[in-house]
Amino acid sequence: MENQKAKRMKIVRHAIMIVVLSIMFVAFIFPFVMVIINVFKVKSDITGNPLALIGKHGFTLENFPKAIEKMKFFNSFVNSFIVTLCSTIGTIALSSMTAYLIVRNNWKANKILFVLMIASMVIPFQVLMIPLVSLYGGILGILNHRITLIFMHIGFSLSMATFMFHGSIHTNVPCSLEEAATIDGCSKWQIFSRIVFPILKPTIATVAIIDAMAFWNDYLLPSLVLGRKELYTIPIATKVFYGTYSTDTGLIMAALLLAMLPILLLYLFLQRYIVEGITAGAVK
Amino acid sequence: MKTNTLGYKLKQYLLFAGLTTIIFGSVVIVPFIYGLYLTFTSWNGVSRNKPFVGFQNYANAFADGGYWQSLGRTFFYSAIAVILVNAVAFLIAYMVTSGVKGQNFFRAGFFVPNLIGGIVLGYVWKFVFNKALVELAGNISSGHVKSLLATESGAIAALIIVSVWQYAGYMMLIYVAGFMSVSEDVIEAAKIDGCTGRQSIIHISIPLMTASFVQCLFLTITRCFMVYDVNLSLTNGDPYGSSALAAMHVYNQAFVNKNYGTGQAEALILFVICAVIGGIQVYVGKKGEVQA
Amino acid sequence: MRRKIVSLVVGAAMALSMVACGTQGSEESVAQNTATAGEQVADSGAGASISILNSKTEIQTQFEEMANEYEEKTGVHVEVYNADTDTTVASQIATKYASHDPYTLSMVDPKDIYAVADEYAYDLTSEDWAKNTKLGITVGGKLVGFPFCVEARGILYNADAIEKITGEKFDPTSVAKLDDFQKLLDKLVQGGMEKPVGILSEYWSLGAHWFPMVYEEQQDPDAFVKSLLDGSGNLMENEKFKSIMDSFDTLIKYNYAKGSASNADREETSMMLAEGQIAFMFGGNWDWSVINQYDYTEHLGMMPVPQNTTDGSNFNIVGGATKYFFVDSSSDTTDDQRKAALDFLNWLVSDADGNAFLTEKCALVPAFENIKADKLDPLSLSVKTYADAGNMIPTYNYLPDDHMTVVGQEIMQKYLDEAMDRGGLADAVTEYFKSATPIEH
Repeated sequence: MENQKAKRMKIVRHAIMIVVLSIMFVAFIFPFVMVIINVFKVKSDITGNPLALIGKHGFTLENFPKAIEKMKFFNSFVNSFIVTLCSTIGTIALSSMTAYLIVRNNWKANKILFVLMIASMVIPFQVLMIPLVSLYGGILGILNHRITLIFMHIGFSLSMATFMFHGSIHTNVPCSLEEAATIDGCSKWQIFSRIVFPILKPTIATVAIIDAMAFWNDYLLPSLVLGRKELYTIPIATKVFYGTYSTDTGLIMAALLLAMLPILLLYLFLQRYIVEGITAGAVK
Repeated sequence: MKTNTLGYKLKQYLLFAGLTTIIFGSVVIVPFIYGLYLTFTSWNGVSRNKPFVGFQNYANAFADGGYWQSLGRTFFYSAIAVILVNAVAFLIAYMVTSGVKGQNFFRAGFFVPNLIGGIVLGYVWKFVFNKALVELAGNISSGHVKSLLATESGAIAALIIVSVWQYAGYMMLIYVAGFMSVSEDVIEAAKIDGCTGRQSIIHISIPLMTASFVQCLFLTITRCFMVYDVNLSLTNGDPYGSSALAAMHVYNQAFVNKNYGTGQAEALILFVICAVIGGIQVYVGKKGEVQA
Repeated sequence: MRRKIVSLVVGAAMALSMVACGTQGSEESVAQNTATAGEQVADSGAGASISILNSKTEIQTQFEEMANEYEEKTGVHVEVYNADTDTTVASQIATKYASHDPYTLSMVDPKDIYAVADEYAYDLTSEDWAKNTKLGITVGGKLVGFPFCVEARGILYNADAIEKITGEKFDPTSVAKLDDFQKLLDKLVQGGMEKPVGILSEYWSLGAHWFPMVYEEQQDPDAFVKSLLDGSGNLMENEKFKSIMDSFDTLIKYNYAKGSASNADREETSMMLAEGQIAFMFGGNWDWSVINQYDYTEHLGMMPVPQNTTDGSNFNIVGGATKYFFVDSSSDTTDDQRKAALDFLNWLVSDADGNAFLTEKCALVPAFENIKADKLDPLSLSVKTYADAGNMIPTYNYLPDDHMTVVGQEIMQKYLDEAMDRGGLADAVTEYFKSATPIEH
């Protein structure tokens, strides 16, 4: 009797949730639907009637090949891919190690580093823009290399990633587990790489998505560092569609769709790890 | 093994945080110090001469009424946006982790707004506010209906709406990870002890998710305070400059009006305010964190 | 031991991935270095590689095609970089100079030249083209700005749309007087075009294109602006101010976006003009790059802003050279590169292909007397007609940097929205000038 009531409650609750989710979903997805609708139209139809499924000038696929050609899509895709991959791996490796050190050791140096990192997250980028190019271009002369961009991407994203790992190590990795390992003769590095790091999977996946997305879409920093066309990443390459007085909306949307696909796939892939959560066995 | 000698500490530090310190220092800290120095010059942004002017730029910044107005506006915008973003994100995260049908599909859908940025975002939302909503409102009421973007308070409201739309999916990610890290047997145990669903959320999930809250609040606060691209692509300060938020004002001051030093000084004041608010929030939040 | 192996492996993997990413970058830079080394051997500038910042973004495609042809012919490699519309040209040049990697040739707005003239702009006084133009910019006795094109502003009209309603041929000179213009507008309204006018609400249109006419059409613009800066000028009592704003009031009255005027969409307004849904729009010949994206009708053109005045300014459009090249003079540019850049500028002016690039491919009104241009778009054709007849009032390039945002956005947008009256407008502008920083010139 009790059980049946609970079951019914659950069904009702789920039904309500699906309704609420669906309404929100429509609101959230609507702009994206607009992009999809309009990418198959020529510009004059996009301005004329953005809601029409097919414009006056008919259905067209031309925005895609045009965009691919004009932004040298494959070249910039490879550049973006290399930069995003290296930066994301680097960020995750370094920040998780640093966060572990900070959480487990209450040293003064750690505290200073952590406070500096948190503070650095609120530095407006404009403050650093000119100094950054003055130092790396003017003095060191190492702009126009992907490795420089990767280095900077890692530098800028370490703070937030460390901050996130800090939170999840603090709450989700029990000390008792490590104590046992220490007794078994494991070194700190072994504990970190074999016990702590695997437990952090959901956070790693989250950070990976957030950072990969940020690197993939970042425009300002790459545009400062990569001044040569052959090094352009997708967001910089897309800029050819933006004019002072006129922007080519059709091409921009085509470029957007082409560029977002890899991140969407990555998200769908990594989502599993986020959702999987900590399996009970790993904690005990 | 001795764990409190300086040598051991140094070795551990270098092993775990050595590279981090180097990269972080050279990419963030050093340029920041140089940037700080530039606020004491009357540099125009391009010249080789950087005349030292002491605190003149800070005096200019304090005297710049437009800056303080934009800052006030930013406070107002951030306060509302932060609350809404987190409320919506938490709600979504809760629902898409509750085992409801199609939750994977929903998760992907709510994530999509993250991927639309820049001018497309501005373009699409301008259309929504100027055309779709105006038409809708026109059908309901009679007479001329103004677009949200055409009125001073409406433009800020529009910025808030778009921010919620953009950031909620992002914060949802973190909340989802938070929900997932609350181990299921804790919830099971609670259920056996007679907790209802709501009780287990309030008394178990939420406390265990403090870390997620701290992170999300911090991220939304700082993002809202420094928001620039949404501001640029959606309103660009229109109408009458009434929707220019602090970061936009700073940017225009430095590069449109070519007062680099003053713009830089204003950016630093913005930084200090942000750092104080963010810092307090993190400090308070971390105190409440439950250690596993 | 195992700990070491694990850390070694992880470390090596990371280092490898970084090196892998790095080498590609450095190979390219090696290639680049050899290119620079090659340049120094050649002495005629052939084989040199120059970079150009193009801030007239609507002609980027033409520029790139030209660069390829130019390289085939002269052996000089030209990289054309599109200016970033999210930031200002000034800030892009600033970051390039900060990183010691400037463009050989930078295309900037007139007012951007003054900041760089002393330190970074090469003296062009002795160049061959200098005698063919009066529009070059000279700073401190040094000719620093190469005028790239002439642009002008006025009222754009769609003659087809007008004639369809009035049934008679549209002659712009017949509406030079505001009263006559008003009559025509009324006629259009009666004929079924409810709102015949479009006004762009962007602050650059209001603050850098419309309102400056108040200064530009003065007897002595410089003296007038100075009087505003020192607080002695009286804007409200000024005849030109009254006249220009009277005309603006008329435009406001017939604005299709009346009610939410500060929110009009530029693309939409341009489209409406192109297709004849509205008949008039304030703008300039650069608007052609937007209009030609739509199904435009045949007879478009540009005319002076109608005014009730006797000073003749209502038969003149306002314009001048709007984009300037300066050549980098710093040591980050080699002499060969500089020579190649100077050759390129001469090519634009004195070579038939260079001329064709300017006037045919880009449809720009040239700033040089020796260049013929007969294949222009309708708007540029109007500009050229007025310019050739001497009916062009020069633009005023020394307004304070924030004039555009303060007067354009904070003040004129309010006026456009009818949220501020004439007196309030005059007071606000007067107040603005009291604290504005003048541009030294």
